Amino acid sequence: MRQKTLRDATPTSGLASLAHLLPFARPYIGYFAVVFVLVVIYNAASVLQPYLVKIAIDRDISVAHLDLHGLIAVSLVYIGAVIASVAANYFQILLLQYVGQSIVRKIRIRLFSHIESQSMSFFDNNSLGRLVTNVSSDTETVSQFFTQFFLSMVRDGLSLVMIIAVMFELSPRIAAYCMVLLPIIFAISLLFRKRLRTAYQTTRTRLSNVVSFLAENLAGMRITQIFHQEDRQAERFRSLNEAHRSANVHEYQVSVQFNRALDLLGNVAVAGVVWVGGNAVIGHMILFGTLYAFITYIRQFFQPINSITQQWNTLQSSIVAADRIGRVLAVQPDVADPVQPLTPREVTGKIEFDQVSFAYKPGENVLNDISFAVAPGAFVGFVGATGAGKSSIMSLLTRFYDVSQGRVTVDDVDVREYRQEDLHRMIGLVQQDVHLFSGTVTDNIRMFRGEFSEQDVIRAAEAVGADEIIRRLPQGYETKLFAKGANLSMGERQLVSFARVVLLNPRVLILDEATASLDSQTEAWVQRGLQAVAKNRTTLVIAHRLSTIRHADQIIVLDRGRIIEQGDHETLVAKGGMYARLYEKSGIEAPATAAVDILTLSPVARG
Amino acid sequence: MPGEHLPNADAPCFSCRLVAPSTRQARRTRLCAAEVGECAIEDPRHLLRQFLMAKKWSYAVANVSIILSEIVMVQFPRILGEFTNTLSRRQLTPGRVMDYALELLLVGVVYVLLFGVGQMRNGRHGREFEYLLRKRLFDHWETLSAGYFRKRSVGDLLNHALNDVRAVREALSGGMNILTNSIFLLAATLFMTLTTINVKLTLMSLIPILFVPLLVIWWGPRIRDASRKVQESLSDMADLTEESLSAISLVKATANERVETDRFTKRVDQIVRRQLGMIQRSAMFQSFIPLLGSLSFAIALLYGGYLTVERQISLGAFVAFTLYLAMIITPLQQIGFVINNFQRASASMARLRILLSVAPDIKDSDHAVQHIEIAGDIDVRLTSFTYPDGDAPVLRNIAFSVARGQTVGIVGRTGSGKTTLANLLPRIFDPPDSSVFVDGYDIRELPLSVLRAAIAYVPQDGFLFSTSIGENIGFSSVDATPEAIEQAARNAAIYEDIMRFRDGMATQIGERGVTLSGGQKQRTAIARALLKNAPILLLDDSLSAVDMNTEKRLITRLQQIRHGKTTLIVAHRLSAVRHADLILVLDGGELVESGTHTDLIRRKGVYSALYRLQHDGEGVTG
Ligand SMILES: Nc1ncnc2c1ncn2[C@@H]1O[C@H](COP(=O)(O)OP(=O)(O)OP(=O)(O)O)[C@@H](O)[C@H]1O
Ligand SMILES: Nc1ncnc2c1ncn2[C@@H]1O[C@H](COP(=O)(O)OP(=O)(O)OP(=O)(O)O)[C@@H](O)[C@H]1O
Ligand SMILES: [Mg+2]
Ligand SMILES: [Mg+2]
Repeated sequence: MRQKTLRDATPTSGLASLAHLLPFARPYIGYFAVVFVLVVIYNAASVLQPYLVKIAIDRDISVAHLDLHGLIAVSLVYIGAVIASVAANYFQILLLQYVGQSIVRKIRIRLFSHIESQSMSFFDNNSLGRLVTNVSSDTETVSQFFTQFFLSMVRDGLSLVMIIAVMFELSPRIAAYCMVLLPIIFAISLLFRKRLRTAYQTTRTRLSNVVSFLAENLAGMRITQIFHQEDRQAERFRSLNEAHRSANVHEYQVSVQFNRALDLLGNVAVAGVVWVGGNAVIGHMILFGTLYAFITYIRQFFQPINSITQQWNTLQSSIVAADRIGRVLAVQPDVADPVQPLTPREVTGKIEFDQVSFAYKPGENVLNDISFAVAPGAFVGFVGATGAGKSSIMSLLTRFYDVSQGRVTVDDVDVREYRQEDLHRMIGLVQQDVHLFSGTVTDNIRMFRGEFSEQDVIRAAEAVGADEIIRRLPQGYETKLFAKGANLSMGERQLVSFARVVLLNPRVLILDEATASLDSQTEAWVQRGLQAVAKNRTTLVIAHRLSTIRHADQIIVLDRGRIIEQGDHETLVAKGGMYARLYEKSGIEAPATAAVDILTLSPVARG
Repeated sequence: MPGEHLPNADAPCFSCRLVAPSTRQARRTRLCAAEVGECAIEDPRHLLRQFLMAKKWSYAVANVSIILSEIVMVQFPRILGEFTNTLSRRQLTPGRVMDYALELLLVGVVYVLLFGVGQMRNGRHGREFEYLLRKRLFDHWETLSAGYFRKRSVGDLLNHALNDVRAVREALSGGMNILTNSIFLLAATLFMTLTTINVKLTLMSLIPILFVPLLVIWWGPRIRDASRKVQESLSDMADLTEESLSAISLVKATANERVETDRFTKRVDQIVRRQLGMIQRSAMFQSFIPLLGSLSFAIALLYGGYLTVERQISLGAFVAFTLYLAMIITPLQQIGFVINNFQRASASMARLRILLSVAPDIKDSDHAVQHIEIAGDIDVRLTSFTYPDGDAPVLRNIAFSVARGQTVGIVGRTGSGKTTLANLLPRIFDPPDSSVFVDGYDIRELPLSVLRAAIAYVPQDGFLFSTSIGENIGFSSVDATPEAIEQAARNAAIYEDIMRFRDGMATQIGERGVTLSGGQKQRTAIARALLKNAPILLLDDSLSAVDMNTEKRLITRLQQIRHGKTTLIVAHRLSAVRHADLILVLDGGELVESGTHTDLIRRKGVYSALYRLQHDGEGVTG
């Protein structure tokens, strides 16, 4: 099996990682176009301003007599332009943010469902904290590319073009001098590109470590406290946090250096313009108004450059975030649906393992040459030492993992030929670790599916004897469970998960030590309930408590990944092998004194 | 002091009443004290205040250099104005042009250096505060009890530590730069125009700008409110993601992926709605401010032009004035932006404040008994126990004593209160006063460190960390030797399993131990507890996932190594408790039977009924 731990490295492809996310933006091309128009309006108004002042100076103010009308006209045009530009700006912000949010929304949903479609090995290898940051914060960073960066490119790029055009219009010679700046700016940006990106990458990865640590330690805080290891964990957190801080500070320093370098260049340029332009005015090559405009423009020229370079930071961080998202999206699930899936019709529930071998990690086989068949409607028990591979067998049947060798069939069809969804509707699994969601008991039983009514839920709960317990809760079925069901006892959580499986009513039922947290009395009720709701269901039961499977049609005994015995209870006990030994030990009856007690007490107690 | 502006429209830091110094845990005070001097106060605003105080010189340097840089910067229009005047007096020579150019160059370079220094410092401090705040959160969380964590989801807490902290930092670092920058640029510009150009013109032009504070007062709280809602919906989404991904095997097994995606989509939609709501408000705000700036400019043009023509001011002064005004348009825009930023930070600060103001409910009592050795006698005289959020008692009338060295079994139906009882002993939940005693001391009078050092607990849902299996076993002690770890593993009957792994003790076990089998997880948790070698061992249904062989081995081993030490075993499988010196049977939260196995079998009550079920397996087929 492939290892699929997501590792982050400084993305070298750069824009390529962003390009993968472009399809998410495609539906919004129209909006982008409108934003573009609005930006043009906004820009035109801003560029107009020095020009209006120039007109005022050259036409109205520096002349001998006052032309108040001209001045008023100029001012009115100016105010009109300002209002237009503010309005354009306002709508531009709204529109662009709408687009940005819509894109993030789509990426989030896609990312979430992609992660959910991964096979279990993906979750074995990747920490939850990381995946949560992918969904919640990397997406946010990427959205800045579509909003801030795009906006800056359009707005600042446009102003730059306009300003350059006006400058050439005013004085081609001085303008030509100014163009020397462009290659210098380019060179500086290139110089900083790699450093910036590495810095972002490091910060991001370290932040992700902080988050993973936090996520895990918040979940396991109880353990830390019970073992009184608060200081140690705080120390660990401190070192992760500190590593993040230093990377963060470094990243900031690099970006400040970069931005200031360009700032410096801008100021040098203004001095240069004054020098060149001043001499030109002396030589009567240009008017003073022109020089004024030029000085304003060269300063304006650096505004977009400055903000583009600010956005250069955004770009680098979005590239890193896009790369992290891309890495998740690029993982193909190990366990994929077939191209032409078989749709199951009438499911009988026949199961067969045919010389199956399986390893979680290459070379470490957990199951070897497993072969057995289960007739439709049979009740089969699995026993064996812990770590023998019982749960792994069930994971293969539900296709959480794919076999390394051999095949697993349900109704004579390889499980790999079904769609996973169909397979999972046929097979119900109750695991030992119960997962509950924050929400009401009802929602937990019906798994938030609208297709089940409250009546269905109550009936299912009644069937497994959970009804009484649920009604005892403060608000009965409407009681809100805390995250992970923390306000229920372990056995009660288990009962809720039984009610779930009754509601789903699958043809094949797997109980993986599902009754281990129940007392024998409750267990008996549950089992009775399960049998009552669906007769002739194929049931596979893993249990360490042998009383649970004693009456199975067939018992499969596993040891270290191999089947060592098969048969019903009587045969296996008679055989005197591993099962017989386990059975002996299950003996509460083992000690002689107790045995006597049973003999004397049993008949009375039974009566 | 620029820090004053941070909680801007909110009550500023300085007006807060100072909370009396620590009655909190000594440990916390120490932790904070190391960082920023005195701090024992929950409020993050105080933390901020402490931080600003501790760094006041550095902040002074930073902000002084930013102010200096602005003072230098405002020379720009002045020089250009003089240049214009020299020119219109026709005194401009190539030499003077050179001088002006050099002057401008100098101004440019000095400005960049000074501003860079200030910006760098503020940015660094912002990030240092970010670090401090996260550290503070973690330290705080470590003092809170299980009762707190039950009710909160990890996703929500994470969102606080990530996004809210970042919002505060952004205000503190970038916001601070821009704010200082803008305010002083404004002030310096004002000063320059008032002194060098024309008082009347300046005042006239300023009229529209005077409306800026009104806008802030009007829009500020609205933006803050909207921002809080956004953060809440982000928390909701993070919650759901965390919850859904940690239950992924269930989601898959029930083919419920689509339902989960729908639930996720709902939360994402909520975020979009709230984000757009916030953006609408802040965009409005951000548009108004430059609008006012432009009005100022129009006045300058009109009135300034008039004054120039009337010869009340020179053409150079007019030019300089328009340049000055142009110069403050950007800061005005930025102030709008920064105020938005501050509103957001202030919303986050409020969220953090709520989080940090939760006082630890389980802590050392003020007159805790110090310096004692626990031997392991347990005495329980509990009349009733109700969960902090429950309405009815879960445990009633439970009284029993255990002498040091005894083994006690606890059995009972699902939900009968076994875990609840076990949780009281290490004070995961606090029992009422004078109801649980260890060595004769009321456990509420024992320091937590002493009590918890004396108890090794294996909870029913044992939690493992995603480190190596060896590190997990050695968790209770920083300096556990490999031999001790190995011994603990042997005692918990997991050693052979570990040796079968390719990496042995160094095997990484994945998040919550996903790569281990059910029984391996349980035994790892048992080994972790055994390594502690504490006078009291508490196993809560910790043998449910091991086979009979292993259980037998474990029980036998426990009897050997726990000789002379107190051991409590909660179990459903009676085989795990039958050897106990005392078996307690709980039912419906009450202690209904107690005695040895033989006693209880004779009594023909709850225990003997359970026994029959397990022994004959009769209930199973019905
Ligand atoms: N996700 C996984 N990745 C790697 N190894 C695994 C994984 N899950 C289980 N294993 C290993 O596979 C072996 C068999 O595990 P499995 O869970 O099938 O045992 P089991 O028979 O169910 O045991 P138990 O009775 O303790 O639950 C164990 O050695 C375990 O460490
Ligand atoms: N945090 C809580 N708040 C309110 N009620 C709770 C909380 N935790 C548990 N309960 C309730 O207290 C009762 C006793 O629970 P407890 O966990 O002690 O049972 P238990 O005997 O350990 O059961 P099991 O054998 O199933 O583990 C249950 O009815 C449960 O619903
Ligand atoms: Mg298992
Ligand atoms: Mg329990």
